[in-house]
Amino acid sequence: MAVLELNDANKIFGSGNTTVEALKKTNFKAESGELIAIIGPSGSGKSTFLTVAGGLQQPTAGEVVINGKDMTGLNEKKRSNVRLHEIGFVLQTSNLVPFLTVRQQLQLLDKVKTGNLQGQALEHLLQTLGIDTLQNKLPSDLSGGQRQRVAIAKALYADPAIILADEPTASLDSDRAFEVMELLQRTTKENGKTTIVVTHDTRLIEYCDKVFNITDGNLKEMSKDGTEVQDAVEKARQ
Amino acid sequence: MFLAWNEVKQNKLRFALVVGVLLLVAYLVFFLSGLANGLQNMNRAGVDKRKADGIMLTEESDKNLQQSSFSKNDVKDLDGGTFAELGALNAIASAGDNSSGVAIFGLNPDEFIMPNVTEGKKFKETGEVIAADSLKDDGFKIGDTLKLSSSKEKLKIVGFTDDAKFNAAPILYGNMETFQKVRFAEAADMNKDRINAYVIKSKDLSKVKAGKDLEVVKTDDFIQNLPGYTEQNLTVTLMIYFLFVISAFIVAIFLYVLTIQKVSIFGVLKAEGISSGFLARSVIAQTSILAVAGVAIGLGLTILTGLFLPPAVPVAFNYLNMSLYGITLIIVSMIGALFSVLTIVKIDPLKAIGG
Repeated sequence: MAVLELNDANKIFGSGNTTVEALKKTNFKAESGELIAIIGPSGSGKSTFLTVAGGLQQPTAGEVVINGKDMTGLNEKKRSNVRLHEIGFVLQTSNLVPFLTVRQQLQLLDKVKTGNLQGQALEHLLQTLGIDTLQNKLPSDLSGGQRQRVAIAKALYADPAIILADEPTASLDSDRAFEVMELLQRTTKENGKTTIVVTHDTRLIEYCDKVFNITDGNLKEMSKDGTEVQDAVEKARQ
Repeated sequence: MFLAWNEVKQNKLRFALVVGVLLLVAYLVFFLSGLANGLQNMNRAGVDKRKADGIMLTEESDKNLQQSSFSKNDVKDLDGGTFAELGALNAIASAGDNSSGVAIFGLNPDEFIMPNVTEGKKFKETGEVIAADSLKDDGFKIGDTLKLSSSKEKLKIVGFTDDAKFNAAPILYGNMETFQKVRFAEAADMNKDRINAYVIKSKDLSKVKAGKDLEVVKTDDFIQNLPGYTEQNLTVTLMIYFLFVISAFIVAIFLYVLTIQKVSIFGVLKAEGISSGFLARSVIAQTSILAVAGVAIGLGLTILTGLFLPPAVPVAFNYLNMSLYGITLIIVSMIGALFSVLTIVKIDPLKAIGG
């Protein structure tokens, strides 16, 4: 069963003569255990795809099903609840609360939901990310890479079915970027998660099971090998 | 509470400033309430002490004690309560270099309005008086002979009593004859039966029949009509209410600025699925932490200040009033926080994910 499903979903902004179809009619399925890359230049509809798929906004038409939950007709309050329980976000800008320590960033989630990682699983997560010694540090005491790893920890801590990562490696050096991708790959495989990564970085594509390209609101799957992907990434860079 | 408290801990200076402003407002509110209360006491202590239910005055006096004057003979069959004769006039009393405006009250020592004596003894002879103990602060003492501004009579202080102020003037209590001699001088004998009022103790004032051209006034009405009393009260009360409004605005503005600074992080948290309700409760919790801290410190400072105030400052703290005002301040602060709550509700989680 698909964990994330978009059926004929599109998104139109504006009205009358000034409408923009940011996301054309899209069918998309992601199974559990899949790590998927999405490539596209800015303005291509990448963010729109991410926000529609992530339940942050409703598609204009069509339906979005997140882990078996049909988002059609749900108000923001209910969608917020689905996001809380089903989706882990790793955002481009740091999504850490500036006045909470690393430990408290995670504890905050304990205040709003149950079923978060405990004990060994948590230890393991922190160690793998190399942030187990940073637990009492504030975000302002961390480097960009450390912050990003904490953000990933935060997304994984809630044990969601789906991880949506927007340029998760943007502020990391190559070594760290590979480590993060390995980690995302491992959690995806071992814990049966569905991970969608929006990225510009071709080197990361090796870690992914599928690659999609989005241009002018059209989402298209590409074969991982061959020059097609290279071209798409080149375009995205421009 | 988790978010609220950790933010306060991490940004001590910022929140200390908010608490600082709140505590100054609270301090001012408490101090003004003390002043309001003190000014009231100054006016009414002497009246309150009589624990009377009402007073009988002439109709044309417009509820003003000094302007009321009638003959006991005009009032027949007093009924429906206990009555005490009262004569009153204002004068300036001086002994040596000390002088003070005073109210001179004449009464019969065997009637219920006879004051207790906190120092010295009761008056016995005509010309002896018990003085308000506040006069001690002006340098008067037992044994002083007082010259009066409007009379050749001399009065002698034989004792002191507490809570003896009427319309801000310290009271000198003497017997009826003392009062009449001061009031009417040589004509005292002719005016032996003239008094200013009957002070009444009665379970049911409506049963007391006023004499011809006289009226029975409830103690509360009488106090409200003391010259300047209501005006003074309204002024101070208005200041206090204004401070409530000001503190609501201060809290609203401060929290709004703090919230605006956090819009992006709140947006991210909302994108992650944390509800507006949780974030709003956090802001409310933060406000209550700040308001309670501000009010508590303000209260402490007020009480501390009270200990060092010279007696001439008419401040008397009424702790019941102060706690009411304190609670009002906290509630008003919460209302100020509602602005920020609205802002949080309106934050669009979509903004967290940039193009």
